[in-house]
Amino acid sequence: MTRGFKLDPRTKLIVVLCISTLGIVAKDIFDLLIVLTLSILVAKFFKVDIIRSFKKTKRLLYMLAIIAIIQSIFSSEGEAFLSIGNFTVLSTLGLEKGLQFIMRMMIIIFSATIITTSNSREIVQGFVQWGLPYDIAFMVALGIRFLPLLTEEIKDSLTAIQLRGIEINNIPIRERVSVYSYLFTPILAGVLLKAEKLSIAMEVRGFRAYDNRTSYLVLKMSKWDYLIIFISIIFTICYIVFYFH
Amino acid sequence: MKGLGFIELRDLSFEYKKDRPIINNLNLKIQKDEITAILGPNGSGKTTLGKLMMGILKPTEGQAFILNKDISEMTLAQIGSKIGYLFQNPEKQFFANRVEEELGFVSRLKGYDEDYLEDRIEGLLRLFQLEHVRKSSPLLLSQGEKQRLAIATILINEPKYLILDEPTTGLDGERKRLLVDLLKELVDRGIGMTIISHDHSFIKQLFQRVIRIYRGEVIYDQRI
Repeated sequence: MTRGFKLDPRTKLIVVLCISTLGIVAKDIFDLLIVLTLSILVAKFFKVDIIRSFKKTKRLLYMLAIIAIIQSIFSSEGEAFLSIGNFTVLSTLGLEKGLQFIMRMMIIIFSATIITTSNSREIVQGFVQWGLPYDIAFMVALGIRFLPLLTEEIKDSLTAIQLRGIEINNIPIRERVSVYSYLFTPILAGVLLKAEKLSIAMEVRGFRAYDNRTSYLVLKMSKWDYLIIFISIIFTICYIVFYFH
Repeated sequence: MKGLGFIELRDLSFEYKKDRPIINNLNLKIQKDEITAILGPNGSGKTTLGKLMMGILKPTEGQAFILNKDISEMTLAQIGSKIGYLFQNPEKQFFANRVEEELGFVSRLKGYDEDYLEDRIEGLLRLFQLEHVRKSSPLLLSQGEKQRLAIATILINEPKYLILDEPTTGLDGERKRLLVDLLKELVDRGIGMTIISHDHSFIKQLFQRVIRIYRGEVIYDQRI
């Protein structure tokens, strides 16, 4: 069942699509800030754990520094903040581009968390009722479902290799690359084994045994769903039209 | 070292979700020179306790110490070189494509002498009866061989202590007996261990101290 405000998962997908589109269309920092605030407010409306999402985006701050420096080095525009001789390490433009990237990522992450308030079965059903073949919709949902497991597997392998006595953060870069190459084996093998077991389990339970599927769960849009979809689409179109004028 | 707490847990608490403690204000001193068994039903917090002792999980409250040193000040690599940890699923600790490479690759990365390493690998292959599968992929071994290889990969680091999480999972009676003999031999060589299990018949053949936990609390702690 949907957590928080009960809306059709298709409505949520459209809201996410609208916010993400605005995040990509908006170029300057002020506009991005408005879209980001909007996405946080909408996520809050759907009772998403905002603090947890903020913690996730905290890691992106490293990316901000990297992108700011790369943009500063490779573009000649903007005023130099930090330079070594004639070589600009950090410029206003680089910092601006870095901030834009982080804000876009935050918009996408915050808006995507809205989908997590519906369970995967509802999302699959939403796609199916939109006309997507069940197999494809199921694969998408399965991919989403398995992402956290993959992250867990990578973390476990990293822990296991460190427990073998390897100071992963304090070894020369060449050895570090070699260690990471060793990590691929258990992760890849784990994913393949899991996929194989899953496919067997699905076949055993009669997945795709017949061409047509009937579903116990049938989604029905309420007037609130239609209203929210209408407002989202109109708002997005108006924003884009005004933005480019 | 006898009598000295090798691992010490002080007022340790841990929760995965807020207000749902898995380990509840636990105090425990584990000696090095004995086999400690941690028993408890599924979901009692045995594996979580093992991971807290290894620093894999960070306690929400309290502290864990190894030889009086706070675990939070140690890296996983430093802990791993003192204590060997066997995961519930041994496949998690395999990284190489061949058994002999699995045993040696960490030491090679650390720059150990190749002749010394060859001798160590040969010794461990013999001790764990894995000579016939030395060229095989660790992932294609039988469950018993995987368990033995996982313990061997830990021992190449020469740890002082072992924490084994459910070492008998998937082993038949004969393989369990083989594992008991092997663990006894390790104890004779001066390696202490904590065994986390709910396999009572296996534990009975080994333990010197038994700790039962239930809902994250010690409900029984007795030495024989």
